[in-house]
Amino acid sequence: MLLAIAGTSLRELTRRRSALLLVIALPLAFYAARSDEPGQAVRFLALGVGWAVATLALFSHVGSRHLDRRLAVVGASPTALLLGRQLALLGTGFTIAGAYLVLVAVAQDVERLWAVALLLGTTVLVAAPLGAVVSLALPRELEGALALLAVMATQMLADPEGTLAKVLPLWSTRELTTYAVDATSDEFLRRGLLHFAVAFALCACGAWAAAVVRLRPNTPPEPAPA
Amino acid sequence: MTGDEWHDSFTRILLEQGVDPHEAQRLSEDSRAEAIAARRHPAQLFGPAAAYAVAVARAARPAPLLAPLARAKGPVVLRLTNVTKRFRRREVLRGVDLTLHAGEVAAVTGANGAGKSTLLDICAGTLKATSGVVERAARIGYAPQQHGVAPYLTADEHFRLFGAVHRMGARKAVATGAHLAAGLGWRPRAGVVASQLSGGTQQKLNVVLGELSRPDLILLDEPYQGFDQDSYLDLWAQVYAWRDAGAGVLVVTHLLHDLDKVDHLLELQGAEDR
Repeated sequence: MLLAIAGTSLRELTRRRSALLLVIALPLAFYAARSDEPGQAVRFLALGVGWAVATLALFSHVGSRHLDRRLAVVGASPTALLLGRQLALLGTGFTIAGAYLVLVAVAQDVERLWAVALLLGTTVLVAAPLGAVVSLALPRELEGALALLAVMATQMLADPEGTLAKVLPLWSTRELTTYAVDATSDEFLRRGLLHFAVAFALCACGAWAAAVVRLRPNTPPEPAPA
Repeated sequence: MTGDEWHDSFTRILLEQGVDPHEAQRLSEDSRAEAIAARRHPAQLFGPAAAYAVAVARAARPAPLLAPLARAKGPVVLRLTNVTKRFRRREVLRGVDLTLHAGEVAAVTGANGAGKSTLLDICAGTLKATSGVVERAARIGYAPQQHGVAPYLTADEHFRLFGAVHRMGARKAVATGAHLAAGLGWRPRAGVVASQLSGGTQQKLNVVLGELSRPDLILLDEPYQGFDQDSYLDLWAQVYAWRDAGAGVLVVTHLLHDLDKVDHLLELQGAEDR
Protein backbone atom coordinates (compact mmCIF):
# COMPACT_ATOMS: atom_id res chain seq x y z
CA MET A 1 0.00 0.00 0.00
CA LEU A 2 2.85 2.37 0.88
CA LEU A 3 4.39 2.07 -2.58
CA ALA A 4 1.01 2.48 -4.28
CA ILE A 5 0.40 5.71 -2.35
CA ALA A 6 3.93 6.97 -3.07
CA GLY A 7 3.62 6.10 -6.76
CA THR A 8 0.27 7.80 -7.26
CA SER A 9 1.42 10.79 -5.24
CA LEU A 10 4.49 11.14 -7.44
CA ARG A 11 2.31 11.01 -10.56
CA GLU A 12 0.07 13.72 -9.15
CA LEU A 13 3.09 15.91 -8.40
CA THR A 14 4.56 15.53 -11.87
CA ARG A 15 1.21 16.35 -13.49
CA ARG A 16 1.00 19.72 -11.73
CA ARG A 17 3.50 20.99 -14.26
CA SER A 18 3.08 24.74 -13.78
CA ALA A 19 3.41 24.45 -10.02
CA LEU A 20 6.38 22.11 -10.38
CA LEU A 21 8.15 24.47 -12.78
CA LEU A 22 7.63 27.42 -10.46
CA VAL A 23 8.90 25.38 -7.55
CA ILE A 24 12.02 24.41 -9.49
CA ALA A 25 12.56 28.00 -10.60
CA LEU A 26 12.35 29.48 -7.08
CA PRO A 27 15.77 28.27 -5.85
CA LEU A 28 17.30 29.24 -9.18
CA ALA A 29 15.99 32.78 -8.81
CA PHE A 30 17.41 32.98 -5.28
CA TYR A 31 20.73 31.63 -6.52
CA ALA A 32 20.88 34.00 -9.47
CA ALA A 33 20.18 36.99 -7.24
CA ARG A 34 23.33 36.28 -5.20
CA SER A 35 25.50 34.42 -7.71
CA ASP A 36 28.29 36.99 -7.36
CA GLU A 37 28.87 35.94 -3.73
CA PRO A 38 29.46 32.16 -3.50
CA GLY A 39 28.57 31.85 0.18
CA GLN A 40 25.37 33.79 -0.06
CA ALA A 41 24.45 32.15 -3.36
CA VAL A 42 24.63 28.65 -1.88
CA ARG A 43 22.87 29.78 1.31
CA PHE A 44 19.98 31.35 -0.62
CA LEU A 45 19.86 28.41 -3.03
CA ALA A 46 19.48 25.96 -0.14
CA LEU A 47 16.82 28.04 1.57
CA GLY A 48 15.07 28.31 -1.80
CA VAL A 49 15.13 24.51 -2.15
CA GLY A 50 13.69 24.23 1.36
CA TRP A 51 10.98 26.76 0.61
CA ALA A 52 10.12 25.05 -2.69
CA VAL A 53 9.91 21.55 -1.20
CA ALA A 54 7.88 22.77 1.79
CA THR A 55 5.46 24.54 -0.56
CA LEU A 56 5.16 21.44 -2.73
CA ALA A 57 4.47 19.37 0.38
CA LEU A 58 1.86 21.88 1.52
CA PHE A 59 0.02 21.75 -1.81
CA SER A 60 0.31 17.97 -2.06
CA HIS A 61 -1.10 17.34 1.41
CA VAL A 62 -3.85 19.98 1.15
CA GLY A 63 -4.87 18.68 -2.28
CA SER A 64 -5.05 15.07 -1.13
CA ARG A 65 -6.79 15.64 2.19
CA HIS A 66 -10.29 14.61 1.10
CA LEU A 67 -9.07 11.58 -0.83
CA ASP A 68 -6.84 10.52 2.08
CA ARG A 69 -9.76 10.78 4.46
CA ARG A 70 -11.82 8.58 2.13
CA LEU A 71 -8.97 6.08 1.87
CA ALA A 72 -8.63 6.06 5.66
CA VAL A 73 -12.35 5.34 6.06
CA VAL A 74 -12.07 2.22 3.89
CA GLY A 75 -8.99 0.92 5.64
CA ALA A 76 -5.82 2.84 4.76
CA SER A 77 -3.56 3.62 7.70
CA PRO A 78 -3.01 7.37 8.26
CA THR A 79 0.66 6.61 8.87
CA ALA A 80 0.95 4.86 5.48
CA LEU A 81 -0.85 7.74 3.77
CA LEU A 82 1.53 10.28 5.29
CA LEU A 83 4.64 8.18 4.63
CA GLY A 84 3.61 7.44 1.05
CA ARG A 85 3.11 11.09 0.20
CA GLN A 86 6.30 12.06 2.03
CA LEU A 87 8.30 9.46 0.08
CA ALA A 88 7.09 11.01 -3.18
CA LEU A 89 7.95 14.50 -1.94
CA LEU A 90 11.39 13.46 -0.71
CA GLY A 91 12.10 11.80 -4.05
CA THR A 92 11.11 14.99 -5.87
CA GLY A 93 13.04 17.15 -3.41
CA PHE A 94 16.24 15.09 -3.68
CA THR A 95 16.00 15.24 -7.47
CA ILE A 96 15.73 19.04 -7.40
CA ALA A 97 18.52 19.25 -4.83
CA GLY A 98 20.72 16.94 -6.92
CA ALA A 99 20.27 19.13 -9.99
CA TYR A 100 21.25 22.22 -8.03
CA LEU A 101 24.24 20.43 -6.51
CA VAL A 102 25.51 19.89 -10.04
CA LEU A 103 24.98 23.60 -10.72
CA VAL A 104 27.00 24.56 -7.64
CA ALA A 105 29.75 22.09 -8.53
CA VAL A 106 30.06 23.55 -12.01
CA ALA A 107 29.58 27.24 -11.28
CA GLN A 108 31.10 27.77 -7.82
CA ASP A 109 34.47 27.15 -6.25
CA VAL A 110 33.28 25.60 -2.99
CA GLU A 111 35.68 24.28 -0.34
CA ARG A 112 33.59 21.31 0.75
CA LEU A 113 31.25 20.16 -2.00
CA TRP A 114 30.21 17.08 -0.02
CA ALA A 115 28.94 19.42 2.69
CA VAL A 116 26.80 21.22 0.10
CA ALA A 117 25.25 17.85 -0.76
CA LEU A 118 24.73 17.24 2.95
CA LEU A 119 23.06 20.61 3.57
CA LEU A 120 20.79 20.28 0.53
CA GLY A 121 19.79 16.79 1.70
CA THR A 122 19.08 17.88 5.28
CA THR A 123 17.12 20.87 3.98
CA VAL A 124 14.88 18.59 1.91
CA LEU A 125 14.46 16.21 4.86
CA VAL A 126 13.22 19.05 7.09
CA ALA A 127 11.17 20.86 4.44
CA ALA A 128 8.96 17.95 3.36
CA PRO A 129 7.50 17.22 6.84
CA LEU A 130 7.44 20.98 7.56
CA GLY A 131 5.06 21.47 4.62
CA ALA A 132 2.96 18.58 5.91
CA VAL A 133 2.75 20.10 9.40
CA VAL A 134 1.64 23.46 7.96
CA SER A 135 -0.93 21.78 5.69
CA LEU A 136 -2.41 19.85 8.57
CA ALA A 137 -2.54 22.91 10.83
CA LEU A 138 -3.80 25.32 8.14
CA PRO A 139 -6.07 23.37 5.79
CA ARG A 140 -6.20 25.94 2.98
CA GLU A 141 -3.45 26.54 0.44
CA LEU A 142 -3.42 30.35 0.73
CA GLU A 143 -3.11 30.42 4.51
CA GLY A 144 -0.50 27.69 4.43
CA ALA A 145 1.55 29.42 1.74
CA LEU A 146 1.47 32.67 3.74
CA ALA A 147 2.60 30.82 6.86
CA LEU A 148 5.52 29.29 4.95
CA LEU A 149 6.33 32.71 3.51
CA ALA A 150 6.53 34.12 7.03
CA VAL A 151 8.74 31.29 8.29
CA MET A 152 11.12 31.27 5.33
CA ALA A 153 11.41 35.04 4.99
CA THR A 154 12.16 35.33 8.71
CA GLN A 155 14.71 32.54 8.39
CA MET A 156 16.45 34.50 5.62
CA LEU A 157 16.36 37.87 7.34
CA ALA A 158 16.96 36.98 10.98
CA ASP A 159 20.45 37.29 12.50
CA PRO A 160 21.87 33.72 12.45
CA GLU A 161 23.33 34.25 15.92
CA GLY A 162 20.01 35.40 17.38
CA THR A 163 17.52 33.23 19.19
CA LEU A 164 14.80 33.84 16.60
CA ALA A 165 16.84 32.29 13.79
CA LYS A 166 17.73 29.29 15.93
CA VAL A 167 14.14 28.36 16.70
CA LEU A 168 13.23 28.37 13.02
CA PRO A 169 13.37 25.03 11.16
CA LEU A 170 16.14 25.73 8.64
CA TRP A 171 18.79 27.31 10.85
CA SER A 172 20.83 24.15 10.28
CA THR A 173 20.94 25.01 6.57
CA ARG A 174 22.64 28.33 7.33
CA GLU A 175 25.16 26.74 9.69
CA LEU A 176 25.99 23.93 7.29
CA THR A 177 26.36 26.41 4.43
CA THR A 178 28.87 28.38 6.46
CA TYR A 179 30.78 25.15 7.11
CA ALA A 180 30.68 24.14 3.44
CA VAL A 181 31.53 27.48 1.85
CA ASP A 182 33.65 29.35 4.36
CA ALA A 183 35.74 26.37 5.48
CA THR A 184 35.04 27.08 9.13
CA SER A 185 35.63 24.74 12.06
CA ASP A 186 33.79 21.49 12.66
CA GLU A 187 31.78 23.26 15.32
CA PHE A 188 29.48 24.61 12.57
CA LEU A 189 28.98 21.10 11.25
CA ARG A 190 28.19 19.73 14.72
CA ARG A 191 25.74 22.54 15.53
CA GLY A 192 24.11 22.28 12.13
CA LEU A 193 23.60 18.53 12.35
CA LEU A 194 22.31 18.77 15.91
CA HIS A 195 19.79 21.45 14.91
CA PHE A 196 18.80 19.40 11.86
CA ALA A 197 18.19 16.32 14.00
CA VAL A 198 15.95 18.24 16.39
CA ALA A 199 14.07 20.10 13.60
CA PHE A 200 13.59 16.91 11.60
CA ALA A 201 12.33 14.98 14.63
CA LEU A 202 9.91 17.77 15.58
CA CYS A 203 8.57 18.21 12.05
CA ALA A 204 8.27 14.46 11.40
CA CYS A 205 6.57 13.78 14.73
CA GLY A 206 4.30 16.82 14.31
CA ALA A 207 3.28 15.74 10.81
CA TRP A 208 2.64 12.18 11.97
CA ALA A 209 0.58 13.27 15.00
CA ALA A 210 -1.45 15.72 12.93
CA ALA A 211 -2.05 13.12 10.21
CA VAL A 212 -3.27 10.57 12.73
CA VAL A 213 -5.56 13.09 14.44
CA ARG A 214 -6.98 14.41 11.16
CA LEU A 215 -7.25 11.18 9.16
CA ARG A 216 -7.98 8.46 11.67
CA PRO A 217 -11.65 7.56 11.24
CA ASN A 218 -13.95 7.17 14.17
CA THR A 219 -14.67 3.53 13.39
CA PRO A 220 -17.90 2.40 15.06
CA PRO A 221 -18.14 -1.07 16.60
CA GLU A 222 -19.65 -3.89 14.60
CA PRO A 223 -23.37 -4.47 15.22
CA ALA A 224 -24.31 -7.03 17.80
CA PRO A 225 -26.51 -9.81 16.38
CA ALA A 226 -30.20 -8.94 16.60
CA MET B 1 -23.23 12.71 -43.17
CA THR B 2 -22.41 9.71 -45.36
CA GLY B 3 -23.39 6.18 -44.39
CA ASP B 4 -19.80 5.36 -43.44
CA GLU B 5 -19.57 8.45 -41.25
CA TRP B 6 -22.83 7.48 -39.56
CA HIS B 7 -21.47 4.00 -38.79
CA ASP B 8 -18.15 5.43 -37.55
CA SER B 9 -20.01 7.80 -35.23
CA PHE B 10 -22.29 4.97 -34.09
CA THR B 11 -19.32 2.73 -33.25
CA ARG B 12 -17.45 5.50 -31.45
CA ILE B 13 -20.42 6.37 -29.25
CA LEU B 14 -21.02 2.69 -28.47
CA LEU B 15 -17.45 2.50 -27.20
CA GLU B 16 -17.88 5.69 -25.17
CA GLN B 17 -20.98 4.15 -23.63
CA GLY B 18 -18.94 1.26 -22.30
CA VAL B 19 -19.81 -1.40 -24.90
CA ASP B 20 -17.11 -4.01 -25.41
CA PRO B 21 -15.10 -3.20 -28.60
CA HIS B 22 -15.88 -6.57 -30.23
CA GLU B 23 -19.55 -6.19 -29.39
CA ALA B 24 -19.54 -2.61 -30.69
CA GLN B 25 -18.01 -3.79 -33.96
CA ARG B 26 -20.59 -6.54 -34.29
CA LEU B 27 -23.47 -4.14 -33.61
CA SER B 28 -22.08 -1.68 -36.14
CA GLU B 29 -21.80 -4.38 -38.79
CA ASP B 30 -25.35 -5.55 -38.03
CA SER B 31 -26.72 -2.03 -38.45
CA ARG B 32 -24.75 -1.62 -41.68
CA ALA B 33 -26.15 -4.90 -43.02
CA GLU B 34 -29.68 -3.86 -42.08
CA ALA B 35 -29.32 -0.51 -43.82
CA ILE B 36 -27.95 -2.18 -46.96
CA ALA B 37 -30.75 -4.74 -46.94
CA ALA B 38 -33.32 -1.98 -46.57
CA ARG B 39 -31.51 0.13 -49.23
CA ARG B 40 -31.78 3.18 -47.02
CA HIS B 41 -29.38 5.59 -45.37
CA PRO B 42 -28.79 4.47 -41.77
CA ALA B 43 -29.96 7.85 -40.48
CA GLN B 44 -33.30 7.32 -42.19
CA LEU B 45 -33.59 3.81 -40.82
CA PHE B 46 -32.29 4.29 -37.27
CA GLY B 47 -32.32 8.04 -36.67
CA PRO B 48 -29.32 10.07 -35.39
CA ALA B 49 -26.25 7.90 -34.72
CA ALA B 50 -25.76 9.27 -31.19
CA ALA B 51 -29.31 8.61 -30.00
CA TYR B 52 -29.41 5.15 -31.56
CA ALA B 53 -26.01 4.23 -30.10
CA VAL B 54 -27.09 5.25 -26.59
CA ALA B 55 -30.25 3.14 -26.87
CA VAL B 56 -28.38 0.13 -28.30
CA ALA B 57 -25.62 0.45 -25.69
CA ARG B 58 -28.15 0.38 -22.93
CA ALA B 59 -29.63 -2.85 -24.30
CA ALA B 60 -26.19 -4.37 -24.88
CA ARG B 61 -24.78 -3.63 -21.45
CA PRO B 62 -23.64 -6.64 -19.45
CA ALA B 63 -25.76 -7.92 -16.65
CA PRO B 64 -24.85 -6.46 -13.25
CA LEU B 65 -21.55 -7.77 -11.91
CA LEU B 66 -23.12 -9.63 -9.05
CA ALA B 67 -25.63 -12.34 -9.72
CA PRO B 68 -28.91 -11.81 -7.88
CA LEU B 69 -29.34 -13.98 -4.83
CA ALA B 70 -32.47 -14.96 -3.03
CA ARG B 71 -33.82 -11.91 -1.23
CA ALA B 72 -33.33 -12.69 2.39
CA LYS B 73 -32.38 -10.33 5.14
CA GLY B 74 -28.84 -10.93 6.32
CA PRO B 75 -27.13 -9.81 9.48
CA VAL B 76 -27.35 -6.20 10.62
CA VAL B 77 -24.74 -4.09 8.80
CA LEU B 78 -25.75 -0.71 10.23
CA ARG B 79 -27.61 0.20 13.38
CA LEU B 80 -28.24 3.77 14.51
CA THR B 81 -29.84 4.24 17.91
CA ASN B 82 -31.02 7.69 18.96
CA VAL B 83 -28.18 9.40 17.09
CA THR B 84 -27.85 13.12 17.64
CA LYS B 85 -25.38 15.56 16.11
CA ARG B 86 -24.83 19.09 17.28
CA PHE B 87 -22.42 21.66 15.84
CA ARG B 88 -21.90 24.02 18.76
CA ARG B 89 -25.44 25.14 19.58
CA ARG B 90 -26.97 24.08 16.28
CA GLU B 91 -28.61 20.69 16.40
CA VAL B 92 -28.44 19.01 12.98
CA LEU B 93 -29.67 15.51 13.83
CA ARG B 94 -31.95 14.46 16.64
CA GLY B 95 -32.94 10.95 17.69
CA VAL B 96 -32.17 9.15 14.44
CA ASP B 97 -32.88 5.41 14.51
CA LEU B 98 -32.23 2.97 11.70
CA THR B 99 -31.48 -0.73 11.41
CA LEU B 100 -30.19 -1.87 8.04
CA HIS B 101 -29.58 -5.52 7.26
CA ALA B 102 -27.44 -7.06 4.55
CA GLY B 103 -29.63 -7.32 1.47
CA GLU B 104 -31.54 -4.10 2.14
CA VAL B 105 -31.50 -0.58 0.74
CA ALA B 106 -32.21 2.48 2.85
CA ALA B 107 -32.76 5.93 1.37
CA VAL B 108 -32.11 9.04 3.45
CA THR B 109 -34.09 12.03 2.22
CA GLY B 110 -34.65 15.56 3.39
CA ALA B 111 -34.31 19.16 2.34
CA ASN B 112 -30.99 20.94 1.92
CA GLY B 113 -29.39 21.31 5.32
CA ALA B 114 -31.48 18.56 6.86
CA GLY B 115 -28.35 16.66 7.89
CA LYS B 116 -28.28 13.94 5.22
CA SER B 117 -24.56 14.21 4.49
CA THR B 118 -23.82 14.64 8.18
CA LEU B 119 -25.58 11.36 8.88
CA LEU B 120 -23.64 9.61 6.13
CA ASP B 121 -20.36 11.02 7.49
CA ILE B 122 -21.26 9.68 10.93
CA CYS B 123 -21.95 6.26 9.42
CA ALA B 124 -18.65 6.37 7.52
CA GLY B 125 -16.72 7.49 10.60
CA THR B 126 -15.46 10.87 9.37
CA LEU B 127 -17.70 12.56 11.97
CA LYS B 128 -18.56 11.53 15.50
CA ALA B 129 -22.12 11.59 16.77
CA THR B 130 -22.72 13.90 19.70
CA SER B 131 -24.82 11.24 21.38
CA GLY B 132 -26.45 7.94 20.55
CA VAL B 133 -24.98 4.65 19.37
CA VAL B 134 -23.60 3.85 15.92
CA GLU B 135 -22.77 0.27 14.99
CA ARG B 136 -21.74 -0.78 11.51
CA ALA B 137 -19.98 -3.49 9.53
CA ALA B 138 -16.22 -3.14 9.26
CA ARG B 139 -15.99 -3.57 5.46
CA ILE B 140 -17.62 -0.54 3.92
CA GLY B 141 -17.65 1.25 0.60
CA TYR B 142 -17.99 5.01 0.78
CA ALA B 143 -18.73 7.51 -1.99
CA PRO B 144 -18.83 11.05 -0.59
CA GLN B 145 -20.78 13.82 -2.26
CA GLN B 146 -17.71 15.91 -3.10
CA HIS B 147 -13.95 15.52 -3.48
CA GLY B 148 -14.20 11.75 -3.84
CA VAL B 149 -11.58 11.51 -6.58
CA ALA B 150 -8.09 12.90 -7.20
CA PRO B 151 -8.09 15.37 -10.10
CA TYR B 152 -4.62 14.43 -11.35
CA LEU B 153 -5.07 10.65 -11.43
CA THR B 154 -6.56 8.53 -14.20
CA ALA B 155 -9.39 6.07 -13.55
CA ASP B 156 -7.02 3.09 -13.66
CA GLU B 157 -4.68 4.78 -11.17
CA HIS B 158 -7.65 5.31 -8.87
CA PHE B 159 -8.56 1.63 -9.19
CA ARG B 160 -5.00 0.56 -8.41
CA LEU B 161 -4.75 2.91 -5.41
CA PHE B 162 -8.05 1.84 -3.87
CA GLY B 163 -7.29 -1.77 -4.78
CA ALA B 164 -4.01 -1.54 -2.85
CA VAL B 165 -5.91 -0.34 0.22
CA HIS B 166 -8.28 -3.31 -0.17
CA ARG B 167 -5.28 -5.65 -0.71
CA MET B 168 -6.33 -6.42 -4.28
CA GLY B 169 -3.79 -6.97 -7.02
CA ALA B 170 -3.42 -4.12 -9.51
CA ARG B 171 -4.78 -6.14 -12.45
CA LYS B 172 -7.77 -7.37 -10.52
CA ALA B 173 -8.54 -3.85 -9.27
CA VAL B 174 -8.40 -2.38 -12.78
CA ALA B 175 -10.48 -5.22 -14.26
CA THR B 176 -13.10 -4.94 -11.51
CA GLY B 177 -13.22 -1.16 -11.84
CA ALA B 178 -13.64 -1.36 -15.61
CA HIS B 179 -16.45 -3.92 -15.25
CA LEU B 180 -18.30 -1.80 -12.68
CA ALA B 181 -17.82 1.28 -14.87
CA ALA B 182 -19.34 -0.57 -17.83
CA GLY B 183 -22.39 -1.23 -15.69
CA LEU B 184 -22.82 2.53 -15.43
CA GLY B 185 -22.35 3.02 -19.16
CA TRP B 186 -18.77 4.26 -19.01
CA ARG B 187 -15.50 2.93 -20.39
CA PRO B 188 -12.50 4.62 -18.75
CA ARG B 189 -9.98 5.83 -21.32
CA ALA B 190 -6.27 5.44 -20.71
CA GLY B 191 -4.34 8.61 -19.95
CA VAL B 192 -7.37 10.76 -19.13
CA VAL B 193 -7.14 12.23 -15.63
CA ALA B 194 -10.23 12.81 -13.50
CA SER B 195 -10.18 16.59 -13.91
CA GLN B 196 -10.66 16.09 -17.66
CA LEU B 197 -13.83 14.03 -17.15
CA SER B 198 -17.30 15.53 -17.10
CA GLY B 199 -18.97 16.01 -13.73
CA GLY B 200 -21.22 13.01 -14.31
CA THR B 201 -18.33 10.75 -15.29
CA GLN B 202 -16.31 11.86 -12.26
CA GLN B 203 -19.30 10.85 -10.18
CA LYS B 204 -19.40 7.44 -11.87
CA LEU B 205 -15.73 6.99 -10.92
CA ASN B 206 -16.63 8.04 -7.38
CA VAL B 207 -19.38 5.40 -7.21
CA VAL B 208 -17.22 2.66 -8.73
CA LEU B 209 -14.51 3.31 -6.13
CA GLY B 210 -17.12 2.91 -3.40
CA GLU B 211 -18.02 -0.57 -4.62
CA LEU B 212 -14.61 -1.82 -5.74
CA SER B 213 -14.05 -4.26 -2.89
CA ARG B 214 -17.60 -5.73 -2.72
CA PRO B 215 -18.13 -4.35 0.79
CA ASP B 216 -20.79 -5.42 3.26
CA LEU B 217 -22.17 -1.88 3.53
CA ILE B 218 -22.16 0.76 0.79
CA LEU B 219 -22.65 4.42 1.69
CA LEU B 220 -23.54 6.72 -1.21
CA ASP B 221 -24.07 10.47 -0.85
CA GLU B 222 -26.23 11.80 -3.72
CA PRO B 223 -24.33 9.60 -6.16
CA TYR B 224 -26.26 10.58 -9.29
CA GLN B 225 -25.16 14.22 -9.52
CA GLY B 226 -24.38 15.09 -13.12
CA PHE B 227 -25.81 11.80 -14.41
CA ASP B 228 -27.99 11.72 -17.50
CA GLN B 229 -31.30 9.85 -17.34
CA ASP B 230 -29.87 6.51 -18.52
CA SER B 231 -26.99 6.66 -16.07
CA TYR B 232 -29.42 7.50 -13.28
CA LEU B 233 -31.45 4.40 -14.09
CA ASP B 234 -28.27 2.32 -14.37
CA LEU B 235 -27.22 3.51 -10.93
CA TRP B 236 -30.44 2.35 -9.31
CA ALA B 237 -30.18 -0.95 -11.18
CA GLN B 238 -26.69 -1.31 -9.69
CA VAL B 239 -27.92 -0.40 -6.21
CA TYR B 240 -30.56 -3.12 -6.36
CA ALA B 241 -28.04 -5.58 -7.81
CA TRP B 242 -25.73 -4.92 -4.84
CA ARG B 243 -28.66 -5.38 -2.51
CA ASP B 244 -29.66 -8.64 -4.16
CA ALA B 245 -26.07 -9.83 -3.85
CA GLY B 246 -26.23 -9.34 -0.10
CA ALA B 247 -24.84 -5.86 0.57
CA GLY B 248 -26.57 -3.26 2.69
CA VAL B 249 -26.85 0.06 0.82
CA LEU B 250 -27.50 3.46 2.35
CA VAL B 251 -28.23 6.14 -0.27
CA VAL B 252 -28.54 9.81 0.55
CA THR B 253 -30.85 11.47 -1.96
CA HIS B 254 -32.98 14.55 -2.31
CA LEU B 255 -35.01 13.02 -5.17
CA LEU B 256 -38.20 11.44 -3.91
CA HIS B 257 -39.14 9.44 -6.99
CA ASP B 258 -37.78 5.95 -7.71
CA LEU B 259 -37.84 5.16 -4.00
CA ASP B 260 -40.72 2.69 -4.15
CA LYS B 261 -38.37 -0.32 -4.05
CA VAL B 262 -36.21 0.73 -1.12
CA ASP B 263 -36.60 -1.17 2.14
CA HIS B 264 -36.27 1.81 4.48
CA LEU B 265 -37.02 5.46 3.93
CA LEU B 266 -35.53 7.78 6.52
CA GLU B 267 -36.75 11.34 6.14
CA LEU B 268 -34.76 13.96 8.02
CA GLN B 269 -36.60 17.10 9.00
CA GLY B 270 -33.75 19.56 9.29
CA ALA B 271 -32.83 21.87 12.14
CA GLU B 272 -34.89 24.78 10.80
CA ASP B 273 -38.10 22.84 11.34
CA ARG B 274 -37.56 22.12 14.99
